[in-house]
Amino acid sequence: MLLIDHCRLTWPDFKANYSLRVETGALCAVVGPSGGGKTTLLHMIAGFEKPESGTLSLDSHDLLPLAPSERPVALVFQDHNLFPHLRADENVALGLKPSLKLSADEWLAVAEALDAVGLKGFKKRRPGEMSGGQRQRVALARALVSGRPLILLDEPFSNLDPGLRRDMIELVDSLRRKRHVTVVMTIHTPEEIVDVADQMAFVANGEVIASGTPKEVLHNHPDPRIAAFSG
Amino acid sequence: MRLTLPHPGSLVALAIAALVIGGFSALLMIDGEKPSLLAIGPYLTRVLIFSTTQAALSTLLSILLGVPLAFALARRRFIGREFVLSALGAVMVTPTIVTVFAVLAVYGRSGWLASLLKALGFSGDFSIFGYPGILIAHVFLNAPFIARLTLDALDTVPAEQWRLAQSLGFSPRQIFRHLDWPVLHAELPGAAVLLFLVHFKSFAIVLALGGGPSRATLEVAIYEALHVDLDFGRAAWLALIQVAICLALTLTVNRLWTRPPVSHTLRSTILRPDAADRRLYILDIGILSASLLLIAPPFLSLLAGLSHVASVLDADFAKALVTSVVIAGLAACIACILSLALASAARRLRLEMRLPRAAEIYDLLPNVLLAIPPFALTAGLFLIVRPFIEPSSAGLILLPLMNGLAAVPFIYRFFGPKLMTAGERYGRLSASLGLRGFWKLRIMDWPILRRPLGAGFAIAMALSFGDFGIIALFGGPELRTLPYLLYERLGVYRLDEAAAIGLLIVIVSFALAYLSGRLSNAAD
Repeated sequence: MLLIDHCRLTWPDFKANYSLRVETGALCAVVGPSGGGKTTLLHMIAGFEKPESGTLSLDSHDLLPLAPSERPVALVFQDHNLFPHLRADENVALGLKPSLKLSADEWLAVAEALDAVGLKGFKKRRPGEMSGGQRQRVALARALVSGRPLILLDEPFSNLDPGLRRDMIELVDSLRRKRHVTVVMTIHTPEEIVDVADQMAFVANGEVIASGTPKEVLHNHPDPRIAAFSG
Repeated sequence: MRLTLPHPGSLVALAIAALVIGGFSALLMIDGEKPSLLAIGPYLTRVLIFSTTQAALSTLLSILLGVPLAFALARRRFIGREFVLSALGAVMVTPTIVTVFAVLAVYGRSGWLASLLKALGFSGDFSIFGYPGILIAHVFLNAPFIARLTLDALDTVPAEQWRLAQSLGFSPRQIFRHLDWPVLHAELPGAAVLLFLVHFKSFAIVLALGGGPSRATLEVAIYEALHVDLDFGRAAWLALIQVAICLALTLTVNRLWTRPPVSHTLRSTILRPDAADRRLYILDIGILSASLLLIAPPFLSLLAGLSHVASVLDADFAKALVTSVVIAGLAACIACILSLALASAARRLRLEMRLPRAAEIYDLLPNVLLAIPPFALTAGLFLIVRPFIEPSSAGLILLPLMNGLAAVPFIYRFFGPKLMTAGERYGRLSASLGLRGFWKLRIMDWPILRRPLGAGFAIAMALSFGDFGIIALFGGPELRTLPYLLYERLGVYRLDEAAAIGLLIVIVSFALAYLSGRLSNAAD
């Protein structure tokens, strides 16, 4: 279980205080207005931002003392996920060994990961030769091949058209079920994830205002900010 | 039938072409005996070998110092870092004649280094003239340019990729391979060719520190042919050869340099993960110290002039200052108007007429100006206007014109992208509202353009204010700029006064460069 308890961060113009609990293997959608602190929450879990106080643990292991590379966390951003000079399989292989010196078995695992995201036959392509959706699939494959139990997705499909976004969300859902990984994903359009997310967290003003099933958060919560957000 | 006036940009392009063709034709058609290309062959070969060798060595050394300096600055955060970054930008506008003085003051026969070595008991007969002086001066001016350019390029790596590197646990070697090398690979070839071009055309530094006629670049050889030997035919041949070589280099720069020009550092806020590496920490301290040792002493040597400022503030100084300001102001106006007209024509071709290939010609034209030898062109134009006006009056006309033309390649990079941005954002809207001419400029372009315009004007003024090029042809008791006054004082070994004048020139140039940086860093 991912447990965030009163993690406080302070900047001159922004304060945050996060508390959230996500069950192992769940897909948690983080929604909320722009500038509310969704990405900061993900950056804190990944280790890019250090809270001044509070606790952050995954399956009872304290994450706070760990550097970003030591945390059991894989990341997919909205853009710039791939290194343009590397092929698709090399970009995926970085998730296993940044030196790219892989054994035959490890290259096989890379091929399997590409296969799992529907990119069989794309391994020799460079990012410039792929569509936006294909590039995000490669990034997803890298997150999977790393074997890290928690995957953070920061608005990963915002640049894709609605049909492709739905396909990608379904892909994430099926992969996390097959591989038993926990997924925390920020998203702009909550209605697109209502059917697949186990949990939804509404973040505004640097706080998790509400957390529960998507229906509980979006329709039954009394906070007026949620009503204003979901229209 | 309705007569349509050509676009101002087309008129400017035609005017520049007419100036260049007219100038060179005048040089070639002047009466008198003309040497054949074969007759100047051995001399030309010697000049070409020297020009190429010194340019290649200067470029190599500038890159060898500038690139590691950029990495050290990218990795380290320290008090005064912002000042160092500003200083790097300012060094680029240090007038070459001031650089000459500073190099002599530090490394000359009776300079600081010689005094220090003497005090330590070493007595060697070391001459700064020739390759050592030329290379030191070029590296002093251009290693900071390369450092700044590389730093700007490194800052274009997206923040997400730095976070990925952190998350995936990249080692310093892997960071270099996956994040830095692709940037260097894209940036350095173009920058190296540009730097080679600048060194190949070097004038004041080679003239003053070359140590004799055997060490001349093509630019110096043209100057000597015109000013010393009055051999216009030789000057014309040398100029044509320089145009051919520099044009080839310019076209290469254009092909290699694909990154859109940015007029300011984007400066990543993410601390590079390799900053924590202990070996790199020691290396960076070494690089920063070595750079400081190279760049700081020449500037400090100018401070020696502080106590002599009062002694140079005479009527000659006042006249030279007014002349410099007027010429620099006019040159900046010319550079801004020409760049604006060319950039506006390029935008019209791209956005309204959908002719991107034709627009590229306008984008290329400012860079082509880099290839034109200013002395040959000036001499040609002087021959045209000579029957009508006095030489000193001709200087007052030709100096701003030539300095303005020389600034266009730099100023164009301030305007071109901004005008395109204004057109892309508001072009259709302004067309639908029927905005044309002045009102289009006032409402659509001016809000985006006013700061780059100010930045461009300031940098053009800085470049012209410190220029010691064309003034070498026209300078004398009738027409003096501050750099020429400095050159005169250097010639009669009044070094304290030269230091004071150099200091004042540098203060004005740096203030203008600082103003330019502030304006170009400000948001739209």
